[in-house]
This record gives sequence, structure tokens and C-alpha cells, in this order.
Amino acid sequence: MKSKNVIEIASSRIAQEGSSSVVQTKSKTKINFSRKAESEFFVDNSALAGFTGERILYMAIRELIENSLDSCETDRILPKIAVSLKLIDPLNDLWSISCEDNGIGIRSDKVSIAVCSFLTSGKYVEQQQRGLFGVGLKMIAAFSTKDTDHPLRVWSKSTEEASEYYFELRTDIGTNKPIVLTRRDVKPKESILRGNSGFRIEAVLRGRLSPITKNKIYDYISQTSIVNPYAVISFFTDDGKITFDRRTTIMPEPAKEVLPHPADMDLKTLKKAIGNYALQKTTIQGILCNSFQKLSSDKAREIIRNAGIEVKQADKYSEHELIKIVNICRQTKFQSPNVDHLSPIGERIFTVGMNTERAIFTRKDGIISDDHSQPRISTKEMKPTLTGYSSRACIINNRPTIVECGLAYGGNLSYFKLYRFANKIPLLYDEGSDVAREVISEVELNKMGVSKKQVKEQFTGLDSRSDRAIDLLPIHIFFHICSTKIPYKTAGKESIASEGELKKYMKACLSDLYRKVSKQIRREMHLKDAENRLKLYKYYIPLIVNAISESIDISAEDLTNSFLTLVDKHVKREATNPRTSNTKVENPKAPKQNHHVQGPHKDSRTKETSLVAKSSKSLKLKHVRSTQEKIENFMASEELD
Amino acid sequence: MAAIDKRHKETIGKIKLIMKDICKDVLSEKKMPSLDITKIGYDNTVWSEEKRMLTIGTKTVHISPDTTKKIPTFSQYIVMSNAVRKLLDEEMESTIRGMYYATLSTVGDEGNKQKFWTSQDASDDAIKAVELLTGVPREEFSVTSKPKGMISGPILLRVGGDIIDCNLGSRATSQLIPTNIMDVEIVDVKADFVMVVEKDTVLNNIRKSGFIQKYNAILMTGSGEPDRATRMMVKTLNEVWKKPVVVFADADPWGLGIALRYKIGSESLSYDSDRLVTPDAKVLGMMFSDIYDYNIPEVARLAASEEDLNRAVDMKKKQWLKDKKWQKELSLFLKNKEKCELDAFFKHGFRYLAETYLPQKLRESGIL
Repeated sequence: MKSKNVIEIASSRIAQEGSSSVVQTKSKTKINFSRKAESEFFVDNSALAGFTGERILYMAIRELIENSLDSCETDRILPKIAVSLKLIDPLNDLWSISCEDNGIGIRSDKVSIAVCSFLTSGKYVEQQQRGLFGVGLKMIAAFSTKDTDHPLRVWSKSTEEASEYYFELRTDIGTNKPIVLTRRDVKPKESILRGNSGFRIEAVLRGRLSPITKNKIYDYISQTSIVNPYAVISFFTDDGKITFDRRTTIMPEPAKEVLPHPADMDLKTLKKAIGNYALQKTTIQGILCNSFQKLSSDKAREIIRNAGIEVKQADKYSEHELIKIVNICRQTKFQSPNVDHLSPIGERIFTVGMNTERAIFTRKDGIISDDHSQPRISTKEMKPTLTGYSSRACIINNRPTIVECGLAYGGNLSYFKLYRFANKIPLLYDEGSDVAREVISEVELNKMGVSKKQVKEQFTGLDSRSDRAIDLLPIHIFFHICSTKIPYKTAGKESIASEGELKKYMKACLSDLYRKVSKQIRREMHLKDAENRLKLYKYYIPLIVNAISESIDISAEDLTNSFLTLVDKHVKREATNPRTSNTKVENPKAPKQNHHVQGPHKDSRTKETSLVAKSSKSLKLKHVRSTQEKIENFMASEELD
Repeated sequence: MAAIDKRHKETIGKIKLIMKDICKDVLSEKKMPSLDITKIGYDNTVWSEEKRMLTIGTKTVHISPDTTKKIPTFSQYIVMSNAVRKLLDEEMESTIRGMYYATLSTVGDEGNKQKFWTSQDASDDAIKAVELLTGVPREEFSVTSKPKGMISGPILLRVGGDIIDCNLGSRATSQLIPTNIMDVEIVDVKADFVMVVEKDTVLNNIRKSGFIQKYNAILMTGSGEPDRATRMMVKTLNEVWKKPVVVFADADPWGLGIALRYKIGSESLSYDSDRLVTPDAKVLGMMFSDIYDYNIPEVARLAASEEDLNRAVDMKKKQWLKDKKWQKELSLFLKNKEKCELDAFFKHGFRYLAETYLPQKLRESGIL
């Protein structure tokens, strides 16, 4: 608070003397250099952490979920997360937000600073993490303190202590220190956290929630669930409750902390490394090979020799000498960095996620009813008919990076959609400027074995909103980039820049994937074609039959039934044996071999689209047979005439 | 009339037979029905040296409702066949547009409705298919197009029971050539020759000048692309009434193409060339060389388009234009890249075309 007063005095002096001459002002004004508390800085510059106007509630939800997932994953706990967002005071736009997890919790002596003090975080290590700045929780605390008189309520049961503590906290924004209003042990029978460990936070925030932002929150949660299918995520809102259940118990290997790569060395990293060994009397050579990856003892000696500096105790070097080491390191070739410390989602988990994708829908009934028994939101399973996965490891800006690419096709998917993830976080804004968008438009569709023409013919329906073939396909494409440092385009962390060779690797990854699924996609398209065709038959056969029965004396019903049976067989045969569809298959025996090579999935689909239901088919066939003779007789008699 | 009725009965019989074949395929043989239709178009058109005309090749297409694309086509052909059958049963006649309306409907259910015909072109194609399936030209099943051909001169027609004299003394009007050609009979022709021009505007100019009376000629035009009635009338006048036929069109590849419709036929109607083409017709003008021989001023000449030039290059390769005269003409066009309409002669005066150019051309060719 003191520093602020100084600034105020300084500015008021300027105001007072504003009327006197310019020269005078200049000579007399003194600029006061003052220090701002981190908390104050972040509150004033909340956009740095993404907390801007409309997005405050979205960011809060996002940060809480990310913290919870990180907290569970460090100790391989299958996450169970419950988030809630409820409007408690519509007049003043006050929302109650809470998040509870079964993660490792926070030790009781660290809770207050972990929640309230900016730039105190367990995240400041070289490790792949969801959050990066570790400011999310602090922003929520600071905003809550700033805008309301409600304390933050926190329950924590850490793995180390195994007993539950309850806190009521506020942030002293001026000093970046927590204000602990209440701190007490929670007796086992009053315990809120059910698991062996966990963390729960409740805060009141002031904010507005536009329908767009609301949908972004829904998207965020459903997309998070895609890449975290091993987590149970429940979301309670004023519109109802949604739960994404756990669909697998496999969890990805947690990310590990990693030594920096020497090619990325600078004076700061080097001095920090030396500082870490200040107490031991170590040589610079020892520090180099212990503090950086891919740096053997020999290599370290070589670097020191090339730098041309004398050998002495590590902390005795001047900056002038150290920069020589840095410069040599930047010129030296090293082995590529390791990737094993990264935590990609992996094919198995990714596939489960894609197969169980659910989208959240809001019921649009215009009338806002107070009846909360009827939830206004529901989810719909996408049930894609096929999924594919491919991945590539690469080095972007000297940091190992893994690109994962997934693809889901068919089922309830209606049109193309791109999903972007960075370190398992969904990116929802700025899709247009993301490198993934470029990758999609630059990788040719025919790598998938389908031509644009084919796609347009088959999928140009009633709502062809786009000229681009990919947009017409019922396809979802997923990109996941994981790295210790994601090349975000902006501070908002919502889109990824085309840094280094990232785009090249992403394209390679997508091309791989297209090739991989090519056969299946073509098969799917054939099935879809068959489905379309059955629809066409349904529409056209009555016209044909009508025209014929008007011209010649024949039973329209018999002809219709026979025709339907015929086309049904025809379409099924083609669907299972698409190769021969274009050449005339007169011999009905030939395609039978392939008839049974149908997955259970496909089978149910053909059943669905079948015009003649199985149960009644045999009946109708019999009927046809009996009338057949009649018809043959008719034909014969006509010919005699 | 009795003869017509009999032919109608035959056509109905043919249509019913097609329907029966389909029923047989579906009901007893349990196979996809298929309509085998002669392929129409440039890739199934062959030049017959003997007949001196374009004739249809041997390729056929199988229209079977076995692919997404062919389901609607097959249905359209069947629906059109039934409509033709109905028309004949009711002893009515219709234009091709009338047939389009008679068979208009939508397919599909709520939310996904489509038109049965995307346009009249689709329905015209279906009529053509019925012709090919039955082997009966559409005039014989009373489906006609809107008349656009015109005729003037000493010729007497009987349409149904009415006599039409085309030798109109007033010089003020021409007679439309009826398209229900089955009902038309040529009673008498007093003219010495038949002159066909590309456009009706040019025909009007020539008629007004008194050309018909002076040279005892019949003037005809197809008003651009000639319809079948006009082509058939030209053929009958040439082959039955033994009257020489001369053709004048604009000096551009398009005009030459139209002139050749009369003389050698067209790719889209090559299946019917025997009834439509007049191999003895003489294409006399307007030659590309006429642009320069008759001093058409530069202002009245038009620059050839890219399309024109491509067409001319194509034409130069055609067997029926192999003789030296045409090769020279086309080379001239490709060299100068200029084209010209018959109307350009009006620059020399309104009577120049009818009183100077045409007589001179006719004299050169020995018609006069």
C-alpha cells in the first residue's frame, strides 16, 4: 500500500504543477520507481492469464479442472472431478464456483500460499504440464477478494498428511500474501473429501455468462473428457447436471521433470545450474554434465576446451567466461533431446476417447421456466464407426515435442470438426489462426483414397455450407501437441504457431493417418452410398411400379415387394463387396464368399437400412412366389395374343 | 388416319413389351432389370462414306437401377414411357414441354424432397430414350417441339385436312413449319430449288426483296439450330420432289456447323440421320473467302473467339470436310481469325444480299 501512495502523490504533484511552464515541470518532477506486488500486477493485467471480461468464468472453470487433473496424474490417481457453476445473485452477477477432486491435495502448511500467493507454484519446473504459469488458482482467489466479500473455502487432504483441513482464505492483493480467516482440522465424521486424498475449493466470482461463453464451457468439458477418458468429470449447472463417466482405467505415464537441453542454454540457465551446486565444490565440467541432458563428461571437457577458459572452481567464473560456454554450446551439435519424459495421450486412451465422444446439447425452448426438474442440457454420444491414430516425435525449438493425431468418422458425426489440444488441454478459441487449420487444408484428401468429387457427390446434402470437400465429411480430426513448451501464438494460449518444423511433422502425421484409415473410410463411404441408394429405391420404386402397373395389367403390390427384395439383396451384396460393384456381377454365387466378412458393427447398420425387415421378409418372399406363377401365366397368355 | 392409328397401336405394344420385360426380370428371374439403349453422342457417331452422313455406332448403354446415379434415370425412362403410352391411348398430342409438365413430380419425403426432373433437359433426354427403346421417332408418337422452322414459296402443304399455301403474295410473312410432321403432307411444289438460310432475320430480308418470285425459289430457315421437322421437310423436298437444295449460313464455325446439320447430320441425332439428313444439299456460303471477295468492310467483321478457333481446328480434321475447298476455307479463317454474319452484307445496302450476293453465288454453282 505504501508504494501506491507514493505514486499517487507523485501524480498529484504533476497535476498541481501542470499549469507552470514545461521547462520548470521537467526539472522538478522526480520519477518514483516503486515495486508492485505480484498479485496486484496480475489483477491489473489479468489478460496475461486469460482472465478477461466475458471469459472470467470460463477461465476459472478451465484452471480448476486443469489443476485437478494435474494433481491426480502426478500420483497416478484415476481422476474424479466434480465442478459446479451456479448463479447465486443474478442482480449482482455473482456466481458460486466449486471444484472437487481426488488428487494428491496440498499440504496444510502450503495451502494458503498455493491458493493466494502469485508466482508460488509447483509448476515451475521443466516438465510437461497442463497449466504453465501456475496462476489460475491465484487469479480466482484475487478476483473473488476483489469483487466480493466472500472468502474462498478450501478443503484439502494431502497424500502426505492423510487428514483433512478446512480453510477460509482471502488474498491481500497489495502484498501478494494470503489472509487466513479460518484454519481448522476437519474431524473424520465431518469429512467432505471421500477419498484418501483430495482437494475442494469454493469461490464466489462476479461475472457474466453469455450463451457463447456458456457453450465454450460445455465444449471445454466435453473435449477435456475426450482426452481424459480415464477421468470422471461431473458438471453441475443451473441447466442441469452432466457426468462424463470413466471409460478406461488406463492412464498415460505421468510426465517427468527433465534436464534442459544444452542447445537451448543461456546465461540464466547456466548460472542457475551453478547455483544449485554452490555448496559442493564442483568443477564446471561436472555441473555441465549433471545439469543438462545429452552432455557426457567428454563432451563437457571438449566444450570447456573450445571455450578456452581456465579450469577453476565453478562459482569463480565471471559472466564473461560463462557466456563463452553458452556460445560454444549453441554452436555444438548434440544428440536430439529425449522424449520419454513427455506424457502423450497414447493410442489406446486416445482411441477410447474418440470412440466415446459425447457432445453437450442445450435444449432450445425459448421459454425460461423455473422448473429445474427438467434439465435443459443433455449429451449425445457420437459413436463414430471408425477411428484412427498416428503420432510423431520431433524437436521444435530444441524442445522435444510429440504430435498426436486422431480421426473419427461416421456414426452420429454430422460434419467436419477440428479439435486442438495442447498438453491435454482443449484449445477452443482462434481456430482460424492455428497451425492445425493450415495442416488440414494442405494435406490432400485423396491420401485417404477418396476424391473430392466423390465426397461432393455423396455428401452434398441439403446444408452444404462449404465448397471444401473435407468440410462435408462426417469426420472429426484431433491434434494433440505435447511439449515442455508449447509454441503458443499469443499470451492467451488458444492457438499454436507454425513454429520450426512443427507444421511439417503435423502434416506427416495427418498423411499417415489418412493412409491408415483409407481402406476403412472407403468402406464406410460404400456403406453410406448403399444407405443413400436404399433411400433412393424407397423413393423411386413406387414411381416405377406405378408407371408399369398403369401400362400393363400387373399387381403393383407384388411388383413392389419383389423389387424391394431384389434391391435390398443387391445393395447388401455391393456393400460387402464394393470392388465388384461397378462391373456387372451376373453370377450371384461369386460375391457370397465375402458375405460373412462383416464386423458386428456393420451388420447392425445394414440391418437398420434394410428396406424389408428381416422378420417379414421370408413371409413376403413366400407371397411373391405364390403370385409368381400367376404372373408367368399372364405373360404367356399375352404373348399368345 | 387409320394408318396412323395402327402405328400408334404398334408403339403402345412396344412400350408394353418393355414393361413386361422389366416385370419378368424382377418377378421371375430375380435380377436387376436393364434397359439397353443405343448410346447417343459424339463417341457413338460414325461417318458413313457410303451414305455421306453421320450415322449411329454400335455402342449401347445399360440403364439399370443398380447405381445411385442410374436409379433416377431408369425411373425417368419408365415414367416417360408410360406417359407416352397414355398420350397415345388418349389420342392426344403434346409438345416436349407438355410431356415435361405431364410427368412433373417430386420424390423423397418431407425434409428431403427433390424434383423428379432437374430441368426440361432431363425430360427431353427421357423422350429421346423412349424413341431409342421403341425405335419410333417421337413425331410418330405425337410428341413435338414448338415450331420454329419457317418456309416461304410456291409450295402447297396439307396439314390434317387444311391446305396451306406458302406462296404468300404479300411477301409480308412466312409460314411456320408444323412440327407434327406425321400430319403434314406436301401436296405440290412449283419451285425450281430450295434455299435454306441460317436465320429468320435473313430469310425475312430476302423474302421482302421479291427473291421468291424472281427466281421461283422456296426459302426456308431453321431459325438457328434446325428442328427435326425442318430437316425432314428439306430432305423430302430434295429426295422426293427432286429439288436442288442450297444452304447459306454465317461465315463462322458455328454457322458452318448449322449448315452441316442439313447436309451430314448431327452427333446428337445421328441415330435418326436416315430421316433427317440431305446429303445432296449444297453449302454455298457464306464462305470465309467471301469476306474478302465481297469486300465486307472491316467494321462489319468480327474477331474470332478462342472457342471459334478451336472448333475450326477440330472441323479441319473431320472426314467430311476433307476436300480442298473446305480445307482452304478453314485455313483462311484460322489465319485471319475473322468471322462475319450474312447480315453484314446490309452494309453494302439492304438489297445487296438478295439481289447481288445470292444470285451470284447461285449462278457460280449452276443452280441458276
